Amino acid sequence: MHEAEDLLRVENLVTRFKSVERGKWVTAVDDVSIRLAPGEMVGLVGESGCGKSTLGRSIVGLERPQSGRILLDGVDLSSLRGRALRETRRAIQYVFQDPYASLNDRQTIGETLTEALIIIGMTDREAQRRRVHTLLDQVGLPDALAERYPRELSGGQRQRVAIARSLAVEPRVLICDEPVSALDLSIRAQVMNLFLTLHKDLGVACLFIAHDLALVRQATSRTYVMYLGKIVEDASSAELYARPSHPYTQALLGSIPSADPRVEAHREPPPIFGDIPSPTNPPSGCRFRTRCPRAMEVCASGPPPRLALAPRHHASCVIAGDLYAHSHPEPHRLPMPA
Amino acid sequence: MMAPETSSDLLQVSHFSVDLYTARAALRPVDGVSYSVAPGETLAIVGESGSGKTVLNFAPLGLMPTGVVTDLSGSVLFDGQQLVGLPEPALRRIRGGKIGTIFQDPMSALNPALRIGRQIAEVAELHLGMTHAQAEARALDLLKLVRMSDPQARLRQYPHELSGGLRQRAMIAIAIAAEPRLLIADEPTTALDVTVQAQIIGLLKDLQRRLNTAIVLITHDMGVVASIAARVAVMYAGRLAEYGPVEQVLLTPRHPYTRGLIAALPSVDDAPGSPFRGLPGTPPVLGAPLPGCAFAPRCPQVIDICARQYPPLRGSGGPGPGAAVACHVVNARPSKEQAHA
Repeated sequence: MHEAEDLLRVENLVTRFKSVERGKWVTAVDDVSIRLAPGEMVGLVGESGCGKSTLGRSIVGLERPQSGRILLDGVDLSSLRGRALRETRRAIQYVFQDPYASLNDRQTIGETLTEALIIIGMTDREAQRRRVHTLLDQVGLPDALAERYPRELSGGQRQRVAIARSLAVEPRVLICDEPVSALDLSIRAQVMNLFLTLHKDLGVACLFIAHDLALVRQATSRTYVMYLGKIVEDASSAELYARPSHPYTQALLGSIPSADPRVEAHREPPPIFGDIPSPTNPPSGCRFRTRCPRAMEVCASGPPPRLALAPRHHASCVIAGDLYAHSHPEPHRLPMPA
Repeated sequence: MMAPETSSDLLQVSHFSVDLYTARAALRPVDGVSYSVAPGETLAIVGESGSGKTVLNFAPLGLMPTGVVTDLSGSVLFDGQQLVGLPEPALRRIRGGKIGTIFQDPMSALNPALRIGRQIAEVAELHLGMTHAQAEARALDLLKLVRMSDPQARLRQYPHELSGGLRQRAMIAIAIAAEPRLLIADEPTTALDVTVQAQIIGLLKDLQRRLNTAIVLITHDMGVVASIAARVAVMYAGRLAEYGPVEQVLLTPRHPYTRGLIAALPSVDDAPGSPFRGLPGTPPVLGAPLPGCAFAPRCPQVIDICARQYPPLRGSGGPGPGAAVACHVVNARPSKEQAHA
């Protein structure tokens, strides 16, 4: 339907790792399909160990997928080799979670950024200097920082440098893996606003991988929910938070404590059991059934169907239709003071 | 002024400061902090990294990094005993005994080479003088108390065999093994997923009801504060910025920093794509004590005196006992502020 318009399309992607147990495999990403329109902000949420980072890393080529296709502008990346692959893949850049680990502490900020420019073939010193200046300006850092080393910078500044480095090669897609979770509360908003500005000014599409659901709701227009290697629900962000229709999404949203003590005094934690199971040996049928308060016999027999609840809202659960019909049309209560 | 000196308080911290001397610098991560905790009560200490919230709680217990000279001043009265200046052997009897500790990262806090059961039993043997068999039996009871699935099997497992949530439950079992009167929990749910976080908070509340343990919870998550604490202390740059009952601080914050933090929480009324609210500037870098208010460079209400003179923590005299704010601007107009709130 939207195929021609998609900038990035991931089709039936499977990424497996060898398990520590001999002869066993961990399927971290299991038959996942997602898409990004040009300039779209999309969220990918889920608990740790659900495979959301592996999916992101597979898209940029940091992991080798077992099967499935990754298409950029309709071109299958696996059909490319060598120089063509490198140049095409450049359009997809990754922003890592920890800006303390992702920058080379032996390089000044200017050298870090210039290295990226050399890779794309910008050899003129003067042009490099100008571009570094523009990049620092785009991420809201003073020019003087080019002479500094990462250790002299705060966490928020480092993450801005990491973002500037990704932007150096003029990407069309940014895969942002928990880009603000290592930052302090009061700094997060600044970096989130930077992403919103870059999106508006440069038209960069973002896949926003995060576990902070409130953040994702505000930053993105569409959200995918992932559980144990599978996408269990996807919808426009506003609708997903207002009418979650998979028991997992409901539990995830219901687990966020409100910052209003009057609400908290009466709130019951959602009836979700235990931890995420080991991906080495996922439950048969629906993978969420071992923790699901609504699990039935049928859930164990086979994978649940992906039901279309609305034109852009899907959930993989046998009772998703019911949950959707009974969901409150009013928005879900997120952490907020009165 | 604040925190009336009642003998009923389990923990009474007054004018407590910590000075750290490293090879390169002299720092004061905690500067003149006072608060108190009653038996069975939960106090949340909120602050960003570097605000001194962890040092404030662990320095009196002698838990500081090695290679650093630590100098404590002021008073930390716990259960009638002065912790400041207490020699290490005496501290060791208190740590894990009357005061249990829960750390942020259970994987690095647990001993990777010991089975879970042994690590719990060890505490009961040391602090309660139990025999080996008694302690092992108690370990099993504790695993049931923290609602571990299949407790019998867990006793024989090593930390690496457990998930993050189960590890944190094991940590909690160790912390409560000697029936402490006070639990100090440093970001106990930060490393966990939200679904597991909800379970762990439920567990802590349940244990508190049953054992009447006081809890000092160090966190930066206002949702966690709202769901468990009775009182809150907001720290900024080693000092208390605001202190008071949880409803008052979270719903009608008075210090500009607290107001900014709470206003920065994403709300359901924010449209997708709308800008995030935050605080301008960056948190202060730990260093020598400042003459003025540390928040002044980021404060929207800053006036002349803020940079020159450090604002004392003043009680509002309003509703709720012990509510106090350290801000020249707010304290200059207490009555107006309350009407505004």
